[in-house]
Amino acid sequence: MAKTRTRLVAGTWWRVLLPLLVMAALAAACSRGDGIPELERRAHAINREVMCPVCPGESIDQSQNPVAVQMRGIVMDRLRQGWTAGQIKAYFVESYEPRVLMEPPRSGFNLVAWLVPPAAVAGAIAALVLMLRFMRRHREASPEPVLSTAERAEYFARIEAITDVGGGTAVASPNAETDGGP
Amino acid sequence: MIVDAGYQALPIALVVAVYAFAASFIGGYRRLPALVLSARYGLYTLPVLLGVSTAALVYAFVTNDFSVRYVAENSNLAMPDKYTWVALYAGNSGSMLFITVTLSAVSAVAVAGLARKLSFTAPFATGLMALVLTFFLAVMVLMANPLDSLPFTPEDGRGMNPLLIHFGMFIHPPMQMFGLVSVAIPFSIAMGALLAGRGGRDEWVDQGRLWGVLSWLVLTTGLILGSWWAYTILGWGGYWAWDPVENSALMPWLAMTAFVHSIMVQKRRGMFRMWNIVLVSIAFTLAEMGMFINRGGPVPSVHSFAQSTMGWTFLGFMAVTLLGSLAAFAWRIDTLKSREKLESMLSRESAFLTQNVLFLAVAFVTLWGTIYPVLAEAFLGEMVTVGEPFFNRVNGPILLVIVLLMGVGPLLPWRRATARSALRLLRYPLGVAAVLAIVLAVAGIRSPVALAALAVVSLSVTGILHELLRGTRSRHRKGESYPLALGRLLAANRPRYGGYIVHLGIAMLAFGAIGSSFYAVQRDFSLAPGDERTLGDYSFRYDGIDRTTYSDRDEVIARFSVSKGGNRLGTMTTHRSFYRDFRMFANRAAIRSTPIEDFYIVPSEFADDGTAVFRVYINPLVWWMWYSWPLMLVGTLFAISPRRYPVPTTQRSFARAPVAAGARAAGS
Repeated sequence: MAKTRTRLVAGTWWRVLLPLLVMAALAAACSRGDGIPELERRAHAINREVMCPVCPGESIDQSQNPVAVQMRGIVMDRLRQGWTAGQIKAYFVESYEPRVLMEPPRSGFNLVAWLVPPAAVAGAIAALVLMLRFMRRHREASPEPVLSTAERAEYFARIEAITDVGGGTAVASPNAETDGGP
Repeated sequence: MIVDAGYQALPIALVVAVYAFAASFIGGYRRLPALVLSARYGLYTLPVLLGVSTAALVYAFVTNDFSVRYVAENSNLAMPDKYTWVALYAGNSGSMLFITVTLSAVSAVAVAGLARKLSFTAPFATGLMALVLTFFLAVMVLMANPLDSLPFTPEDGRGMNPLLIHFGMFIHPPMQMFGLVSVAIPFSIAMGALLAGRGGRDEWVDQGRLWGVLSWLVLTTGLILGSWWAYTILGWGGYWAWDPVENSALMPWLAMTAFVHSIMVQKRRGMFRMWNIVLVSIAFTLAEMGMFINRGGPVPSVHSFAQSTMGWTFLGFMAVTLLGSLAAFAWRIDTLKSREKLESMLSRESAFLTQNVLFLAVAFVTLWGTIYPVLAEAFLGEMVTVGEPFFNRVNGPILLVIVLLMGVGPLLPWRRATARSALRLLRYPLGVAAVLAIVLAVAGIRSPVALAALAVVSLSVTGILHELLRGTRSRHRKGESYPLALGRLLAANRPRYGGYIVHLGIAMLAFGAIGSSFYAVQRDFSLAPGDERTLGDYSFRYDGIDRTTYSDRDEVIARFSVSKGGNRLGTMTTHRSFYRDFRMFANRAAIRSTPIEDFYIVPSEFADDGTAVFRVYINPLVWWMWYSWPLMLVGTLFAISPRRYPVPTTQRSFARAPVAAGARAAGS
């Protein structure tokens, strides 16, 4: 059995790997923006986080509105003068409102915006675990097992006869591992 | 005359819908087959009546009948006739008519199938579909009749929003609206079974799944088309911006994705009966919210194509749906006990449930981000924006875990697995993912997040390919040739292998999304004709412009000669049009797309001598996102295709065997 599996793996390994190597090659072959000056890169990152005040929903990076073009110019100027990203964003918040940033500030009440999603995910996972345990524990409420051990053995033998899938698969493992269950 | 007929058809349709709703429910409870039948025939007449209205509206467009308000607002003499189709749903009341006529037609088809297959559930499902149609019809008749006339007849119409004049507009918005409204069908089937007291019998599952999957397919198509349209026409180099309207289309898709998975657990194992009803109710509520946000909801959006107060009636309908579903659920909860119990925390069942919870988590987080600005303004009086960076940060990790689960879940067996057997199954995918991550790191991909994301995608792909390969080989060993073995393997379990094909499509989508989010390059160039520049491996020369004047717009075409690494790639052209009546510009980017990357040029304002600022992008792997759609289409259709070929004898005798019969008897 073990030997068959090894041969199976040796024979099929490259076939599974081939499409992935193609994907890897593609991912590695993509152009990089190596020629772009560092300052422009930083400006770009800031532009994406600042909203264009007259075109709701669009960042100054996306928008071609004159206001956005002007604000992109301000970002570049301030970066040349040595301002940090935080200072530039604070400057825009002062000139406009907090809504000029593409995401809520991480301070004050607006922390709620950031805290609710992880809390919700944690709560959902906790509920999931509790639910799964509940569903498992209440097994005594279920009627008699649908199949007796002997029937079950026959059942899986037939499945194996039909599908003949070797090596610990979806159909084979319950046969080995559920029979002795509680 | 024709317009009058169309106008009058709507109130008649409303009366018929109300009748179909009432008669179907009364007939269902009192067991009056004649009444139920009359309701069903009533429902069958709705597409006809609404068809008359639609035809009248088309006629008004084609004959330029500007006495009809909707026609005057959404077309003009210059509009080519083919855009009548677009104009039909480009405005508020027209889009209402569009979704109503579509839903009525799909409902009629669904009801015909239900009446044959689910005699107890069908009256209630029919009644619910009629109720949804009643709502749409009432909104049109009372608030926004698309065939309303103006008190005077203008010389010419205002014309359509130029951003909507694009090939993508012919298919994306109708698909999206159809997708949202089609969620009503699986909802009605599930809720109908619940109301009929048949929720605990799994007979509704096949029909519910069929319509759920179809609805999912339409929603998926709408979303991908929308992204593709944004990418090719709106010219900002991206395809998804977490805009409120995008979010509102995504949320029902997430809930439906959860539903089409979880329904399989009920189909196979008789579990999750309550959960499936809850899921499909959530999906329908979210779909209604999508229509609400699209129609003048409270959130500002680049999509606000139909500003009106009508949105608030949708909010009311949404509340009714939610409360009604909850009430029905509470009333019938005793009928929804699971047939079987969960045997292990480590099983395909629990993987499905985990997947469901994660999908709902993404939906909730998206909802939260979408409405947070409204909450902050209402309770704090403070205006904040929740945009792309927020959603990427918050949803990105959850989506990645979902892709991971897509690779792991299908490998787990039903009922129970042990940690040892699960690890054994995951050995190959994990190995491949690790090797790939190392190869990519050596090849120069440095971002740990991108590496992790690519490794997770590769894990999923390997898991699926390995499963297919293993099954094919085992059949091959029994004497079938490889292609035959693969074909028979796929055909033996269509829902499963169809799902695998869709998963491969999703992996392609994720691959493209990862590449383009982490490695897109963009730069602005101010160019005069004759200038030559390079970006990445590409060099491009700005050859100059051609100006053309059309009846409705002035168009500037800029020509570029592009080469990559010394090889000439030919000429690329960008288009920029000024629509005089709307005083509005529309850009069309020049795009050269390959599986590796897209080279993408967007124009902006041109000076008289042709000098302009061009934004040039290199977007890696975007190609994969668009080509994932055919794969998903094929996989979805395969997953719901009925078995047509004769079942091999071994399987047939197995199905009749006493053990299987015993399982059925014990289950009912």
